[in-house]
Amino acid sequence: MSAFLQVLRVNTKKEFIEMKRYLPNTLSLLATFYIIFLALFFGIQVVGDPAEASSNTQYIIVNYVFWYFAMMTLQSTGGAITMEAMRGTLEQLYMSPVSAWRILLARVFGMVAIHLSIMVVLIFASMVTTGEWLHLNIGAIIPILLLTIISMIGVSFIIAGISVIFKQVDAFLQILQFILMAFAFVPLSVAPYLVFAPFVKGVDMMRHVMIHGYTLGDFTWVDYSWLVGNGIFYAIIGVIVYRSCERLAMNKGLLGHY
Amino acid sequence: METIIEVDGIRKGYKKRKSKEEFIAVDGISFSVRKGEIVGLLGPNGAGKTTTIKSICGLLVPDQGSIKINGYDSVKERNKALRHISAVLEGNRNVYWRLSVEENLEYFSGNRGMRKKESKERIDQLLELFRLEDKRKEIVNNLSRGMQQKLAIAVALMANTDVILLDEPTLGLDVETSYEVRSLLKHIAEREGKTIIISTHDMAVVQDLCKRTVIINSGKVIADENVQHLLKLFETSAYEIQLKETLTEEQLTKLQHQFPIYNLHDLTLEVSLEHEEAIYQIMNILSLNQTGIETINRTQVNFEQVFRRLVKEEAVS
Ligand SMILES: Nc1ncnc2c1ncn2[C@@H]1O[C@H](COP(=O)(O)OP(=O)(O)OP(=O)(O)O)[C@@H](O)[C@H]1O
Ligand SMILES: [Mg+2]
Repeated sequence: MSAFLQVLRVNTKKEFIEMKRYLPNTLSLLATFYIIFLALFFGIQVVGDPAEASSNTQYIIVNYVFWYFAMMTLQSTGGAITMEAMRGTLEQLYMSPVSAWRILLARVFGMVAIHLSIMVVLIFASMVTTGEWLHLNIGAIIPILLLTIISMIGVSFIIAGISVIFKQVDAFLQILQFILMAFAFVPLSVAPYLVFAPFVKGVDMMRHVMIHGYTLGDFTWVDYSWLVGNGIFYAIIGVIVYRSCERLAMNKGLLGHY
Repeated sequence: METIIEVDGIRKGYKKRKSKEEFIAVDGISFSVRKGEIVGLLGPNGAGKTTTIKSICGLLVPDQGSIKINGYDSVKERNKALRHISAVLEGNRNVYWRLSVEENLEYFSGNRGMRKKESKERIDQLLELFRLEDKRKEIVNNLSRGMQQKLAIAVALMANTDVILLDEPTLGLDVETSYEVRSLLKHIAEREGKTIIISTHDMAVVQDLCKRTVIINSGKVIADENVQHLLKLFETSAYEIQLKETLTEEQLTKLQHQFPIYNLHDLTLEVSLEHEEAIYQIMNILSLNQTGIETINRTQVNFEQVFRRLVKEEAVS
């Protein structure tokens, strides 16, 4: 366990160093997403029903920050694995006596931390721009967010596994953007079966908290069961898929850039 | 001395992407390495050196055979085995170019579970040894190829493992840096008593560093010998014959037939002979056409010639 703490320390540190060192990249990412948001916001002003403008805006803010968060975390994972396999650092990571999936987990934690911070900035920027204030009930947001993140990490592991095997995952990640958009934007009331998809339940509950002012007590045990079950399911699937890909890679000599 | 690495009959095939047929890159390689030894792994391109090294590092699972590191199986007890080894596989490509020298060292050691304080001490030590102190905060991207290479070796040393594997550590370095890397490795081997396995095409590395060499060709071990022994063995039988005129087709054919391993450029004939009397066979061939001999000299062999001869012989047989 203490070894894992060191792994966690250096991987989080690495993510933050790179974010700081490449601050222009980080800022332009932030700007891009802010512009996407503005487009959505004004789009809704033009085509939407004026009577519902306020709640529509709130929907957009919540949906798009979660879309950002899920997409960036997954893309960073896939991108990092692909790049490190091509560079030759992936093999170095696999030579650590600490299992590679733990190192990956630490890395994903680092990415989650970064994109969560950016997400907070985006939320505030959007709220200031639109003058629509969400319910930021920290006591309810944090537990639900953490459980939502579990299933996202599970999906990150699946992406990481696929990246180890196929390397060229750019096209796949492009498509993923749209799938994630659906997950973040389509409410469960419209597409109930999406409850099986990763983190959709979590985002749905976040909407209830942030838009309708729900507290933890307003959800039923069914809600929580879905949320927790979804997280555990994707976490387990993620690790299984990742480890199978890893074993395949070691058998076929795919860890390097041959 | 105790054995620290035991490679036992490993075989590794790769599926070709298109035809799906299997290509055997390593075909039953066995050798063992004792604690404190420096072993050179030699062989022509595609011989299977990197495949062997990666299997020892636990990055590739052999199809057959097994590898033990300090008694731990490289597949079944992977994490325990990995505690004893570190490697430089692709030199400067093994480090993060966007991080500084110090950040790289700290990152990789942290990933092995090393605490901050412990790694700080080791970083100071290594930067001094590698004369990289003034580059401590420099981003790796801004370093020269040689410095990046040294950093990659320092990263491998951070973990302070018993065994270090290096895949072509002097590849792409200029003469001076290559020399510096060699003396660093020598220093490490002598002072820190590390066991080192080096794959290389650089004969200076072998002659400078290795006591022993394992030569592989087409996935098989063709020699596993003390370097000095090999040199001696070939010294007694290498000749350089200066001819007066060129040889005829007939002479060449005979030469090719009886001495597959010869080298002829202009009027200089180099041959290695199995036994001394064979020199008379050469004379016979030359006398066929009354070819005159200017001089005959026993040559000083260097390791490169020995190596080329071994590989050629293997190809012929
Ligand atoms: N991941 C891989 N997939 C398919 N074939 C591979 C792979 N890695 C190596 N090979 C093939 O296996 C053979 C042995 O390769 P290897 O890299 O072990 O040789 P080497 O001795 O290190 O050669 P070099 O001196 O060129 O580095 C080569 O023919 C190579 O093309
Ligand atoms: Mg090689």
